[in-house]
Amino acid sequence: LAVIVDAHLHVDEVAALGWRMGADLCIERMNEAEIEVGLIMTITDLPQFNPHALELILEACEAFPGRLFAFARLHPWYGDEAVRLLEHALTDHRTYFRGLKLHPVSTIAHPSGEDTHRLIRKAAELGAPTLFHCGDEPFTTPLAIASAAAACPEATIILGHMGGYFHVDEAIDTAERFPNLVLETSAMPYPGKIAEAVHRLGPERVMYGSDGPVCSPRIEVEKVRLAKLGETAEKRVLCENAERIFGEFT
Amino acid sequence: VIVDSLTYLGSSLFGHATSAHDVIGRLDEAHVDAAVVCPVKPRGYHLAEANDVVATAARNSDGRLVGFARVDPNLREDAVSELERALSELGLAGLFLHPWEESFRISAPLVDPVIEVAHRHGAPVIVASGYPWVSEALQVGELARRFPDVNFIMTNGGQINISGLGQADAELCLSEHANVFIQTAGVYREDFLENIVETLGANRVLFGSAFPLMDPRLEILRIKWAHVSDEQKAQMLGGNALSLLGLS
Repeated sequence: LAVIVDAHLHVDEVAALGWRMGADLCIERMNEAEIEVGLIMTITDLPQFNPHALELILEACEAFPGRLFAFARLHPWYGDEAVRLLEHALTDHRTYFRGLKLHPVSTIAHPSGEDTHRLIRKAAELGAPTLFHCGDEPFTTPLAIASAAAACPEATIILGHMGGYFHVDEAIDTAERFPNLVLETSAMPYPGKIAEAVHRLGPERVMYGSDGPVCSPRIEVEKVRLAKLGETAEKRVLCENAERIFGEFT
Repeated sequence: VIVDSLTYLGSSLFGHATSAHDVIGRLDEAHVDAAVVCPVKPRGYHLAEANDVVATAARNSDGRLVGFARVDPNLREDAVSELERALSELGLAGLFLHPWEESFRISAPLVDPVIEVAHRHGAPVIVASGYPWVSEALQVGELARRFPDVNFIMTNGGQINISGLGQADAELCLSEHANVFIQTAGVYREDFLENIVETLGANRVLFGSAFPLMDPRLEILRIKWAHVSDEQKAQMLGGNALSLLGLS
């Protein structure tokens, strides 16, 4: 397999949404795209809805050793309990858990909130980055997340989807102001904006992710290649930045 | 036959500019046979001039470009007369509406007079869809309910939301209105398209690149690499567009 790391994949089953994303489907789609390593996360926010989400993700990682690693997706409103769960994931199961995922659309927890900052700071203290869903909805725009980047300068914060459809320019502008922001490319449909982000921020600030398995990892890899970054920068975006930020995948 | 059911032609107020030469060059690069070309909103705001540009390009394209007319329903009777001119005199093949750029709600009654013109001409209507507040899928569906004999094609799968929150509305709209179809440009999640094909049929989905706003080399992969049958891919890549344009 080519050395590609997919920084944004989902494993979960949410009957209410009709969304089913298994670890085996992740691996199938990763293989189609010749992706070696993927970082998975749930769709629900621990401990809400599924209090056993960490175990679900652990089982998936253990079923595909060396291929799947993980984010702990947490709900900031759970305060001390959320912090305890994060600490548990990032210390007791550090082999697999490499980051914190926050999705303010599903949690309605604004990135400027102190409960959110506690989690981001705890992750940073444990050497792990925070991945935010960053799209067009209120609570998730680049400027909303910039408040967290400003409050937690020691943390690496990844803007998943790098602004979605209408906030991509704002994501690049914001990342220019805050050096602790990294842009992640998943589902955002403009290859030219990946090239622009690499040009303006440097190749070490842009990271490949697919939002798979239901967004096609193969199409998402092709999107990065269409940006024509050059071999060195493309390698950083597809692999090396993830290894630097999440640690070696062994 | 591969038909790109959505491209834009002209010099846009919003900064992008494409000529017929540019569009045909991209078609060749992506091995696409023909394309629907829609007018952009020009710097002077005069859509009639943009319709002239598209009509000229279509006439001189040896059949590779199929032009659509664009009007602003806010202009009421002027929009009606311009659409009549575009479909009758210019020979354009359909109507393109952009509720976001022209600032109107697609389900508002002021839209009806131009749809009546499209209906009389048997012309399909492409709606720039998925834009919040003005062209959400259920709002397009409301218009489709009022005009069951007109075919409406929603851009962006009828949903522009990278959380997937627009998908349920789009699926509901498509399931309730057999005269609504979707294009694929920039669509969030390939499983959304695959699910529509499986549950409602491949005939409801049309390949569209939205060039120059999006990249045809990427957009065509949403069909070519979809997990559906080759026959279904052929329908989405061209057969459905030919059928809706009356060219098959």
